[in-house]
Amino acid sequence: MLQIAFDPATNPLNNNEWSFPLFECIHIAMFTMSVGTIALVDFRMLGLAMRRQTPAQLLKDTSMWTLTGLIIVITSGIVIWTTDPLRYYFNPAFRYKCIALVVAVIYNYTIHRKVAQSNPSLLVGGAVAMVSLLLWISIVFAGLFYAFT
Amino acid sequence: MSAAELSRAVQDTEFFTALRESGLPYPIVLSLHLTSIAIFGGMILMTDLRLLGWAMKSVSITDMVRQTRIWKWIGFVIMISCGILLAGAKLETYYDNPYFHLKLTFLVLVGVHALVFRKSVYGNTTALDALPTVPRVAKVAACISIVLWVGILSAGRWIAYFERPVPHRTAELVKN
Repeated sequence: MLQIAFDPATNPLNNNEWSFPLFECIHIAMFTMSVGTIALVDFRMLGLAMRRQTPAQLLKDTSMWTLTGLIIVITSGIVIWTTDPLRYYFNPAFRYKCIALVVAVIYNYTIHRKVAQSNPSLLVGGAVAMVSLLLWISIVFAGLFYAFT
Repeated sequence: MSAAELSRAVQDTEFFTALRESGLPYPIVLSLHLTSIAIFGGMILMTDLRLLGWAMKSVSITDMVRQTRIWKWIGFVIMISCGILLAGAKLETYYDNPYFHLKLTFLVLVGVHALVFRKSVYGNTTALDALPTVPRVAKVAACISIVLWVGILSAGRWIAYFERPVPHRTAELVKN
């Protein structure tokens, strides 16, 4: 039997009607900011948007907003997780989400960053962007599938 | 036919019943709804932050607005289509939900916002770029846009937390 050090019933988020949905709203707004800014660079590398700018320029312009978004989305996610940690822990969608998130963050700050900075060809940039989009979209999907698995 | 009966009839159609009771399609439509918010909402946010002069400063307003316009439209269509499917499948619990009404009101205001600021901001970007600073009207447009979209996503989330009040049945209890 898995034990946790605190009782979720004492968590403030479980003891009023507004704080849980408030953190969900913060979570959604901040994944919009983080995933949205990453997707903008991806759309550029795929040649679909912002073609008058270079991927490197877009990366530079968005990186501070991406980082801010990621920090807040992960923090608010941890806060939401504390409302029912064991249920999340045993949920397969949540487990996938955690692993994919670590992979996506590492990917974003290594391969994705390096390639975007090098103003890649459509083939290389497009492939790197597709992996990035699929990773981040799958994390959004897993967040919602949590409630259905 | 009352609104309650009409909503019931809509969600009881074969199509919406199948969607509601389906294993995979319902969460997939919901996930697509949120994914389009993330990707295309992100473009709207960055455009607003550009107008405010806080982000994307190396990109002209014209480039920012024109090069994301088509994708904002495509995203909007995907988001609304998924939204109609989600609302239709559970219309009986949505039709009198105040947060659903709030969300629809904000969506109408997004349309009003686009029409009001088309001439002065979104269709006037070349003139805005020629100015030394972003004029107040463009910053006001950006602020209203951010408020409306945060309002839409918050109201959307709060739909799930509304419980229809149970009508008082004192009269009946007294009679019995």
